[in-house]
Amino acid sequence: MDKLRILLVDDEPSFTRMLKMSLERRGFEVVAENNGAYAHTVAADFLPDFVFLDVIMPDVDGGEVAAKIRCNPKLKDVPIVFLTAAVSKETTRVKGNMIAGQTYLAKPTTVDEVVRCIEREMKKKAGAKSA
Amino acid sequence: MPETKVGLATEGPSRLQAILNLSRDAILSISLEGTITAWNAAAERIFGYAPDEIIGRPLATLVPADRRYELASILERIQQGHIQETYETIRVRSDGIPIAVSICIGTIGKGGHVTGAVAIVRDLSETNRALEAVEESSAKLNEREQMLQRALSALRKTHEAAKSTQMQLVQAVKLESIGRLAAGVAHEVKNPLAVILFAVDYLKEAVPNQDENITVALTDAREAVIRADSVIRGLLDFSTATELTTDLQDINALVRRSMGLVKHSFTKGHVFVVEELEEGLPPALLDRNKVEQVLVNLMINAVDAMPEGGTLIVRTRKDRMVGGPDVGVRATDTFRVGQGVVLIEIEDTGTGIDDKSKARLFDPFYTTKPPGKGTGLGLAVCKSIVALHGGTVKVANKEGGGGARATVVLRSVRPEMEVPRDG
Repeated sequence: MDKLRILLVDDEPSFTRMLKMSLERRGFEVVAENNGAYAHTVAADFLPDFVFLDVIMPDVDGGEVAAKIRCNPKLKDVPIVFLTAAVSKETTRVKGNMIAGQTYLAKPTTVDEVVRCIEREMKKKAGAKSA
Repeated sequence: MPETKVGLATEGPSRLQAILNLSRDAILSISLEGTITAWNAAAERIFGYAPDEIIGRPLATLVPADRRYELASILERIQQGHIQETYETIRVRSDGIPIAVSICIGTIGKGGHVTGAVAIVRDLSETNRALEAVEESSAKLNEREQMLQRALSALRKTHEAAKSTQMQLVQAVKLESIGRLAAGVAHEVKNPLAVILFAVDYLKEAVPNQDENITVALTDAREAVIRADSVIRGLLDFSTATELTTDLQDINALVRRSMGLVKHSFTKGHVFVVEELEEGLPPALLDRNKVEQVLVNLMINAVDAMPEGGTLIVRTRKDRMVGGPDVGVRATDTFRVGQGVVLIEIEDTGTGIDDKSKARLFDPFYTTKPPGKGTGLGLAVCKSIVALHGGTVKVANKEGGGGARATVVLRSVRPEMEVPRDG
């Protein structure tokens, strides 16, 4: 089975570096992009199965990046999860990791949690397709 | 001396006449039958009758109808020669207006026979008017004094209220600045924390686990990150604890849900839980998540206060506020008199609160827990959330000792205000 392809978009290189290393250790194929403005072109090239997006970045916000990625017909159904320091764990826990219909994961988080999130979202996508 | 000469010259009837005319009191004489026989100038001024109008007329002319009963007795005593007295009564003027008078009456006689009586009548209306004026002034003074007292006490109350509002404002400004700071700092601090946490987890998996010290170092580093994150989260609660999303909530259901969230801590801490939830409580307009956060916080505190295990009582009841430091009509009072409330009490059998901690319980960053266990923000956040709901939260030792009790008082809503579920 092919490795699951994960795209990480975050302006903090050390963050993407650490998460990339951790996820690769768990068997994922990971591409990291630190410039939000280029994220959709990288996504169009890499065609990820899953995207983690930062919300607050210097030039562009995560919502815009998500919209641009989804503009690509090949990526219109790709699961996108916002991985952000802008919400607290309590908020995401109480609201079931959803805010305004969008899935969030609060920083800091563990690799285990990140992996669980990927599995959950992929299962959701598979369920939606078969339905 | 000339004065003596004048005195000698005015001896006799003319002196009596002068006294009669100079007197400010009415002087009149009456016969045994009660007919008026003499009338001085003052009598004319007081009663309004000229001498030729009144002399020869009965004394009854001057007596109002409702005082006529006095006449018979007076005349009888004049005839018996017994009368010599002063009394106050009412007489009537020629224009029919009654006047208050003081009468001095005594018999007169000639050759051992009583021939009549002389009466000196003093008009009391002026004296009475003066007295009334004095009384009125005194009443007015009293009233003014009372007004001043009221104003003074209102002023004192306003001063107290202003002082308390000022303190609340200072506190609010403090909390607001902490909140603003927290929101700004959180984002910048959480990113590096995330990096460290990933790095630690990565090293734990990647580094061959041969050196025990490496494991200890990584575990400590991981815990430090989690601790720092919990401080940041506590601070963030300040910045987000300013807005509520409220709807009508069943308090008992909310309490049970909160207990469910802490169930694991109860089991782990060997804490036996007793539920004393009053049925039929009125609903309350609450932000469910925030009030749950408050209750979870108070229950965790209670569990932490019983390191050897113990009993935790969770109680709910309804009440009406009748008095107390938070009840009144001032803008700064939390509750009105008669306000319907729901109380949530969380009691533990722990060590209680020491005197030093009592005043500082709700201060941000004050904690009695060991390092790493508490951020000192829990109760401060609880207080700010409950205050946003227009309620109070207090923590005190139980009467008679043996643990502490946290009491949350929230305004209830009359059941009839509840939105009907079926249409």
